[in-house]
Amino acid sequence: MNLLTMVDIERRKIHRSKIIWILMIPIVILWIPMIINADVNFNMQAEGILPEDNFLVQGFLGLSWFMFPASLVIGTVLLNQTERSGNGILKMLSLPISPAKLCMAKFIVLLLLAAVQMIAMVVCYYLSAAAASSLEDYSFTLGPSDVLGLAGSVYLASIPMAAVFWMIAVCIRTPVFSVGIGLATIVPSVLVMNTKVWFAYPMCYAFRVVTGQMHKLAAHMGDFPCDLLPWIPAAVIITLVCLAVSCNQLGKAERRG
Amino acid sequence: MSVSLEYGKLKRTGFYPAFVGGGLLAAAIPIANTALRQDVFTSVKESPFVVLMDANWQMMAMLNVFMIVIGACIVYHIEYADNALQKMEALPAKGESMFFSKCFVLAAASVFMIALETAALAFCVRCWFSPPEDFAAQLFSSMGFATALSVPAVILMMGISSACRNMWISLGIGVIGIFATVVIPPGSLILSMFPFTLPFQTFSGAGEGEAGELLLGALVEMAVFCAAELVYLRIRRNVQ
Repeated sequence: MNLLTMVDIERRKIHRSKIIWILMIPIVILWIPMIINADVNFNMQAEGILPEDNFLVQGFLGLSWFMFPASLVIGTVLLNQTERSGNGILKMLSLPISPAKLCMAKFIVLLLLAAVQMIAMVVCYYLSAAAASSLEDYSFTLGPSDVLGLAGSVYLASIPMAAVFWMIAVCIRTPVFSVGIGLATIVPSVLVMNTKVWFAYPMCYAFRVVTGQMHKLAAHMGDFPCDLLPWIPAAVIITLVCLAVSCNQLGKAERRG
Repeated sequence: MSVSLEYGKLKRTGFYPAFVGGGLLAAAIPIANTALRQDVFTSVKESPFVVLMDANWQMMAMLNVFMIVIGACIVYHIEYADNALQKMEALPAKGESMFFSKCFVLAAASVFMIALETAALAFCVRCWFSPPEDFAAQLFSSMGFATALSVPAVILMMGISSACRNMWISLGIGVIGIFATVVIPPGSLILSMFPFTLPFQTFSGAGEGEAGELLLGALVEMAVFCAAELVYLRIRRNVQ
């Protein structure tokens, strides 16, 4: 079986999980106050940021700080629990498939779920930008290159974080601890982001990317660069190590028992 | 009997160590914060307790609510995981008493967390500030206030996880609830009555009058959630 078929099988397993609602509702909750308080964007002139840029960046700040990482944690719980209820993992392991491939297929599904949420974010952005524009009589809508560029970079920056959460979920079999550690690592990301070693902490990448974009758009806010060195090598190493560990660990406890 | 049974069930799920760990982490926040930035805090004229709460309570409350959400998920997850709930229903015991015993265990665990945090705050004041005379009264009234305001979230989350067979749904709803308190700008009293927002309120921040209203609101919410759960359990029994 090639990887693509396995991804499709994993996708079908979570077909009826209602996870889509869990991914969509926060996006709606995020944008409604943004539409209602759209006039706040005009008060940001002191920082030298255009109202429409501020509207976009504030929305993505809200998403990337808490909900996007937390959705990844929920996704790992979903992927693990569907397999463990009814001992599905034992049946999967008895098939002639390499467990590493199974692990990668599940990780790709996790990334697909994140992609769905990001697409919903972009769609909701356009809807709420249109709503805010008609409400305030000022065009808040930005071109697709700005919006998709930001959404794409946030998504790419989240992949190492997803790998870390996936490793935690595979290695720590007690759900209380795997979820607890996952959620607890989100809280200090704001603190770590401002230190010199931010590139070693994948949980703050997405938030740092959006903050960097905000500083770039705001003329008077100073520089907050996301230097690609040593960030990209560090991110690649973290991702590969986490995936290697999780591929190695998936199903190990079951095989032993 | 029922409470000790529920206590025993949770022994091997990591529930208690998780609460101890979460409590220690939350207790470390004010200590680390004050130790690292001593001059900033001690130079402020206000009452030391108010200063500490303003600087640290948001993060501590966040951890408290996280633990309430995760705890509630796991407490019912163990019932659903291997169809244990069906066995419980076959016993001559009421679903209601199981629900309230579970609530009691979760509430006790979160009170334990808040007690650890109280000890940490008292330690901070002893070590780095000169404690005012009414300090003990201030400490216990504020932390009692925080405890009372976290009970609605406990009951609501237990209700949600008793209704959801799958853990990711109850976890998702809880996380969305926390997210809503983060995103929606604080303002009116009605908004701060949202069960997931209540634990973030502080006694000093609310002021005398508003604190009473918040407590009253919390009490009403507790009654409503309990009543809703009783109705839900009755309906479920009849439908099954």
